[in-house]
Amino acid sequence: MEKHRIWPYLRSLFGGVLLILMFAAPCFAGVPTDGIKETTDRILAVVSDPALKGPENKKKRGLLIRKAVDERFNWEAMTKRSLARHWRKRTEAEKKEFVALFGKLLERTYLDKVGSYSGEKVIYVGETIDGRYGTVTAKILTHSQTEVEVRYRLKELNGDWRVYDISVEGVSLVNNYRKQFSSIILRSSYDELVKKLRAKVAEKD
Amino acid sequence: MASVIEGKQFMGFCKRLWFVLIFGLVCWGIQGHRDISWASPFDSRQNAATLEVDVVGHELIQTARLDEDSAKTSVPEEKAASKEEKPTEDPEDSEDWPEDELSEDSLFPDPLEPMNRAFFEFNDAAYFWFFKPVSEGYSVVMPEVLRVSIRNFFTNLSMPIRLVSSLLQGKIKSVGMILVRFVVNSSAGFLGFQDVAKQALDYPIQDEDLGQVFAFYGIGPGFYLNLPFLGASSLRDTAGWVGGLYLNPLDYILEDWWSNLGARAFDMTNKTSLRIGEYEALKDASLDPYVAMRNAYFQYRLNQIEK
Repeated sequence: MEKHRIWPYLRSLFGGVLLILMFAAPCFAGVPTDGIKETTDRILAVVSDPALKGPENKKKRGLLIRKAVDERFNWEAMTKRSLARHWRKRTEAEKKEFVALFGKLLERTYLDKVGSYSGEKVIYVGETIDGRYGTVTAKILTHSQTEVEVRYRLKELNGDWRVYDISVEGVSLVNNYRKQFSSIILRSSYDELVKKLRAKVAEKD
Repeated sequence: MASVIEGKQFMGFCKRLWFVLIFGLVCWGIQGHRDISWASPFDSRQNAATLEVDVVGHELIQTARLDEDSAKTSVPEEKAASKEEKPTEDPEDSEDWPEDELSEDSLFPDPLEPMNRAFFEFNDAAYFWFFKPVSEGYSVVMPEVLRVSIRNFFTNLSMPIRLVSSLLQGKIKSVGMILVRFVVNSSAGFLGFQDVAKQALDYPIQDEDLGQVFAFYGIGPGFYLNLPFLGASSLRDTAGWVGGLYLNPLDYILEDWWSNLGARAFDMTNKTSLRIGEYEALKDASLDPYVAMRNAYFQYRLNQIEK
């Protein structure tokens, strides 16, 4: 009788160890940071590649960067969070169109930022993982000696960590767009918002 | 010009002008635009009929809570529906709706929106037609290294604002850092032109101001203000800015009106020349630059206060 009593304890102990191993493993690996690092390094390699310099290579450069960014960013999740409760009311076609347009706008903003790159240093200062959600914090040291804190929020999807929000100095991009979208929808309508977005995307193409 | 007015008078004038201006703006705004929406997205929802009544803060929150509840109850149906169509879709995603919307709208109303928008337009024009070309011309003459040094000098000079602000918040570590920074930078850093403390000791600048002190003692931002020349602010932070004028040694060093004004203009031009492109980027990326700026300011301050 005494022997049987020990099993629950052993089992829970075993389970505990397993649990710890399961949750600890990704923490040690630092998968989100590696992903962000890889993408950033890829982009910086393109930007600082002498073979791709000059205005005649702008398109080529843009394509390469776009590819790198597309693999790391989850445009749909970004759009979902930005439209928030307005997302549910949309039809499938509308959703698709909005994701494409908004993704393009974000991509272009990001490209413009990267395009003005001039040797800033990027330091990765921290990472947190909470289940399937994670954050990666980086500091960018600009050449005018100011530090800019950038925080990526990522979510794991089929073993792949994808960015769904970026905060710069505590200003979340998705939160900012959400305010703009809800304000425009409140004042006019969803159609007006799409019209505005389309015009914005077309502005520079 | 017979205008050797004392610097103290400059300060006094500034403060009085801003107090009167802010008071006037608030009165005008509240009188003239009482019915302007409280910048709340809640009334677009079906069951937000209570918002037809003049909205008071707690009512707003209550309605929002109701809405949230109803949103939660409606999620399962949605989930079931979307699962039928797309079984691959991540079911967790529908629970990802952000919940911070509520706090912002109740904390940071914008009752003076028409006025703020007008000043936003004004600042926009002033930037593109005056401040930007001036600072661009300035940056052609001045190399960046020098401009960074000058910025460091003015930052070092305004140490009392940060010191008093962190003292009032009881941030002992910050107080120590600020004092060490000031001593080191003023001596080894040649009157603050070099930020030695950051480079050698890795003591970063402590961004504290009186607005954050007010926030520390539980004062909310009041409401959003977009002031001519000063840009995005809130009632609380404007009050903090005015208080900061008392703490800036510049006003005690340069007592002469014109040299004081000149030093301020120089500092501002120098700072702007290091930040060209930031405003353009915001404007370029947003669909409603005014709302984008307002929200960015709110988030930025929240982040600063939490630090």
